[in-house]
Amino acid sequence: MSNLSMAAAAPKVRTSTTPPVLVVVGIAVALVGFVLPWLGLPRNILSLLTSASMTAILATGVGFLVRQAGFSSFGHAAFYGGAAYLLVLMSVYTGLSGEAVVLLAPVIATLAAFALSFILLRTQGVAFSMLSLAIAQALFELMMRWRDLANGEDGLRMRLPREIFGLKLSFFQKADTMFLVSWSALIIIIVGLVLLSRSHFGTLTLAIKNNEERARFIGFRTLMPRAAIIALSGLIASIGGTLFALYNGYITPGLLHWSLSGEALIIAIIGGTRSVWGPALGAFLFVILRDFAGNYTTHWQSIVGLVLIAVVILLPSGASGAVSSLVNRIRGGRDV
Amino acid sequence: MSDTYMLEATGLTRRYGGFAALNNVSFKLRQGEIRGLIGSNGAGKSTCMDVLTGRGRNQQGTVCLNGQDISRLSERERRAVGLSRSFQKTNIFPELGIRQQVQLAARKAEFDNTEEVLAELSLTAIADRTASDVSYGDQRRVDLALALVGKPKLLLLDEPAAGLTIEESLAMARHLRNLAERWKLTILLVEHDMEVIFAICDRLTVLHLGEVLTEGLPDEVRANPEVIRAYLGSTFA
Repeated sequence: MSNLSMAAAAPKVRTSTTPPVLVVVGIAVALVGFVLPWLGLPRNILSLLTSASMTAILATGVGFLVRQAGFSSFGHAAFYGGAAYLLVLMSVYTGLSGEAVVLLAPVIATLAAFALSFILLRTQGVAFSMLSLAIAQALFELMMRWRDLANGEDGLRMRLPREIFGLKLSFFQKADTMFLVSWSALIIIIVGLVLLSRSHFGTLTLAIKNNEERARFIGFRTLMPRAAIIALSGLIASIGGTLFALYNGYITPGLLHWSLSGEALIIAIIGGTRSVWGPALGAFLFVILRDFAGNYTTHWQSIVGLVLIAVVILLPSGASGAVSSLVNRIRGGRDV
Repeated sequence: MSDTYMLEATGLTRRYGGFAALNNVSFKLRQGEIRGLIGSNGAGKSTCMDVLTGRGRNQQGTVCLNGQDISRLSERERRAVGLSRSFQKTNIFPELGIRQQVQLAARKAEFDNTEEVLAELSLTAIADRTASDVSYGDQRRVDLALALVGKPKLLLLDEPAAGLTIEESLAMARHLRNLAERWKLTILLVEHDMEVIFAICDRLTVLHLGEVLTEGLPDEVRANPEVIRAYLGSTFA
């Protein structure tokens, strides 16, 4: 072999796979979630956790886009709120079955995300963030001003049959049962994304994020994989929005507002985007923090802001990075 | 060395406004040849590499690989027909593992010789580490591994010895020579380090102000008064 005399430094032990301890912790947390509704928790706590699950789905979509493509979206409310609006508008204005309405809403929102990705991908960095924000705000303004369609800022109530997918509609509107639905969706999404990120597609998209030019020079197309990541991220956000509309039965333009997109991005940063599950953790921390702080002050946003500053400075990998480090320290100092 | 031409560049011209970075540049590489492309800063070496690989489109002229006109192919398509390159500035995937990214590159090559390439470049021991965690010298070799995997027909190396010590540069040069002979690679090498150039190149093409100043065997080029005046000075003459 090689005559090269360039000495390699002693290999630092580093694994790119999720350590088993973290997998076990993840499975335990998932299972705990499934028994929560039977623990006799107060209704307001279950309701809070149900909302947190839906927010977690939105944040997971936003975080996955950051992790896998390097794009910070300020417009994911367009897909979250867009799917919610689609569900309600179709339930009001079309004769489609309840099942079709629920399934079509995220599908249409995802197709829109895929189509928009070809415009978004003409930009990068701050321009990408601003363009995504502009698209969401345009949708927000449309729903605000087109009163004949969506009743403006007064919002619109969903009109679905009493039974969908063989279940009473109330199943989706009670905190305990809807928590199970949204928790299941969240777990399926996270497991799916973990598997995807370990696949060839995951490696390729990470490579394109790292160095798009080199990816082309080793023979790969780079546009479609990035468009697919944006569409997938939009699909995840739209699933969250669909569940939100089902749960609340009522929508307002606030679901499309840029502040919701910004909140999702803040949550993803608090949770950490290096891991797929980080934004979901961030969502639960955020919702709990907001509820806790809201009990003491109406200016809870300032507390959230302080927490965000602290996380960015003290935990650059977010809460999930801190959890990983803690697990590693317990296991004996392996770097993940 | 074969009598057939692996690369035929004819009349390559690239202008930026009124400035001609390349002006009617032509040269041919025989199969198995190691050709050095030298010249002072601004001579057009990197522009020439970019035009050959599709990074920058040539405004005039043609590029043929093994007889096939590839002038209108994208960089991705040129890789598919066997033209590969490394970069002056390390151009790798920092977040990926070393083996992981070489395997990724191998997927689009004719065959997967990842382990062979890792072994050739002494990367096997650190192959499971993330690329951003290894030294600069290792990262240069990862860059080279991405270009080498799949045994391309033509390898374009843009200053592979940049940032390396003299000993490292010469070791790399000897290894490249050895590898080219064993793998029957054709190499176009841009390099400022004349020790490396004279150690491994079969022939040299000298660019000056975007044009071919001369071409020939290393000893002929070394003795050429025009080349000495324009580029080499007296040190290597």
